[in-house]
Amino acid sequence: MNIRDVAQRAGVSVATVSRVLNHPDQVTPKTRERILEIMKAMDYTPNWFARGLNLNRTGVIALLIPNIMNPIYTEIAKGVEEVAHNKGYYTLLCNSEDSKEKEAAYIEMLLHRKVDGLIFIAGHLDPDLMTRIEETRLPAVMIGKIEGNWQFSAVYTDYFEGARKATAHLIENGYSGIAHITGNLRFIESAEKLNGYREALKNADIQINPKWIIGGEETIEGGYLAAKRLVRNPNPPEAIFIANDWMAFGAIDAIKTEGFRIPEDIAVVGFDNNRMSGLVEPKLTTVNLPVYKMGLTASRLLFDEMDTLSSTSESDEKADQKQQIFLPLTIKVRNSCGHQDRIKAIFGE
Amino acid sequence: MRLKMDFMGLSLKNPVMVAAGPWSRNPETIMRSLDAGASAVVTETIAMEVRQNVRPWIYSKNEGYQNVRLYSDHALEQWLIFIRQIKKEGGTVIASIMAHSPSEMAYIAKSVYKAGADAIELGLSIPHGEGVAVMGSDPDHMYNSVKRVIQSVDIPVMVKFSPHVTNISELAKVVEKAGASGISAIDTVRSIIGVDLETSKPLLATYGGYSGVPIKPIGLATVASIAQSVKIPVCGIGGISNWSDGLEYMMLGASTIQIGSAIMTLGSEVISDVIEGMDKWLEQKRLRAEGIVGKALSNLKSFDEIEILPYKAVLKDACPESSCETCVVGCLVGALEKKNGNIVYHQELCNGCGLCVSLCKDQNFELKWRL
Repeated sequence: MNIRDVAQRAGVSVATVSRVLNHPDQVTPKTRERILEIMKAMDYTPNWFARGLNLNRTGVIALLIPNIMNPIYTEIAKGVEEVAHNKGYYTLLCNSEDSKEKEAAYIEMLLHRKVDGLIFIAGHLDPDLMTRIEETRLPAVMIGKIEGNWQFSAVYTDYFEGARKATAHLIENGYSGIAHITGNLRFIESAEKLNGYREALKNADIQINPKWIIGGEETIEGGYLAAKRLVRNPNPPEAIFIANDWMAFGAIDAIKTEGFRIPEDIAVVGFDNNRMSGLVEPKLTTVNLPVYKMGLTASRLLFDEMDTLSSTSESDEKADQKQQIFLPLTIKVRNSCGHQDRIKAIFGE
Repeated sequence: MRLKMDFMGLSLKNPVMVAAGPWSRNPETIMRSLDAGASAVVTETIAMEVRQNVRPWIYSKNEGYQNVRLYSDHALEQWLIFIRQIKKEGGTVIASIMAHSPSEMAYIAKSVYKAGADAIELGLSIPHGEGVAVMGSDPDHMYNSVKRVIQSVDIPVMVKFSPHVTNISELAKVVEKAGASGISAIDTVRSIIGVDLETSKPLLATYGGYSGVPIKPIGLATVASIAQSVKIPVCGIGGISNWSDGLEYMMLGASTIQIGSAIMTLGSEVISDVIEGMDKWLEQKRLRAEGIVGKALSNLKSFDEIEILPYKAVLKDACPESSCETCVVGCLVGALEKKNGNIVYHQELCNGCGLCVSLCKDQNFELKWRL
């Protein structure tokens, strides 16, 4: 039994059945359902191996993330997978734990097994590996933007501006003694957040206290320890801007354990707006990083690139046209920042 | 033929379109509007990310609606299928899209363009869920969004305007300069439709967008202002529920109109009723739809141009309503009183405000020169 038998039974062309398998989004749901049912009734399964050979395609894309425990990456994965699934593709999730060895091994494996496309997080991948991906011309999209002359489509945001806004929000609420718990400064987003924090203080003519800038591991524990060091300081800050929500949860615990109230004694602002941020007590004011949307967008850009590559005609689009999509950041005002601005809490900015 | 209208390069059989909203949420509802005679339908707003809608999300009171719905429940990919489907069935479809940055907007625009949309409406003016200042009130953001979209597509791009701006004329000029093919107005008006006194709760849990009959005067003024600021065509939206509403918008400069909330109360028949009513009126007056666009604008005056004339109210006939005292209560200067069921009018007190003319349900007053 083959695809022709299915087409004959369904009274449609082989091309339509092929579209149901390869581009289900281009077939009306009604037709798609009908053909899938006929396939089921006929017990037809496409020969995936042969299909891969015929189309020079595997039906799999890969998402390489640095840390599966950080919920922002699972939300990115949700967005990526959702689009891929709609297109009839599987998503392979690779977790590098920020290890260069693991990254390299994954990239070699992915290139060797010939996935159809790759999404990776900019700034977390070794430049040599990026060059390697670029050379193979494997469709690849990066989430985030990095300096350099990389030829990748990208969806990116502005961490500097997000951090500047978060710090400025604390200043607007009357705080001047503002500390910052940074993320791992090896990563560009952490460095940009630190610069944004500095910029906001500079704009408000507030002297930067170097003792109030503390690095932490990007985990709950890392945030806990960094906050303990800050609040045990004989001169503790009035407010802390923390590089990610995960660390902020740890910091909130530490501040409470040390007997301080949030926000009355120490205000806290995080970054990411992960799903738990509205549930912790007090509810965390944070910067909304549209991670799910980043995943959706990256996946869409990847499929655009794969489609362009597979279409023989280059009439409507140049094969190497790269797309850059910017997603802005906004502040999600909740209770941990001691704000008085209810209208900002309701509407955002 | 009378109703034919060229709008942003689209050749439309009539000026009546259907607005973005839940009545345009899928091919079935869109085809229903097209079957009722609409010349084009604007889709419910398509965004990059589907956000779950809260419940309840709509409340109706005194012919007005407050809604707190955000965007379409369908993903972009689904909409691309929908658009292809509608095009296959011969419909004219305008994709309403929204995004938070020009590049994101351009991406969605390009996607719907490739799927076959006939035009695009940029929805940057939702009054809830997107900031105290509506996105579409920032001229730079408007300019950049429109510009990027126009560079990405080869179909007309219309920009939907909010009534929540004080710089309407400036904004209109900005989007015209950016290359927009048209402007539609108005989006919903920020509202709280009421408060339940027993529970101290607003009738819907957050600020929302107000639509329906009560917003028509706001829409008319906005459309007139835009039409007097730019050369690109305008599409009138807001509280249209019958043919004369539509013609009023057109006389104030709209080339086309969009019906929205009325579909919820009157069904899609309201579309055919509006078209039929317009056609009849135009036939009677021996006019074409194209001929009435902006016809009332030249009668819209500045204060300087309004001549101060010695108008006073004049009672046309004896009042037939012995119990009605609307004009007496309404008269601000006490020029009217009711004695034994009859109106007694003290002309020397009348200052010609005109309130009694619009208050009297029997239309028994008119303003005349009384020197």
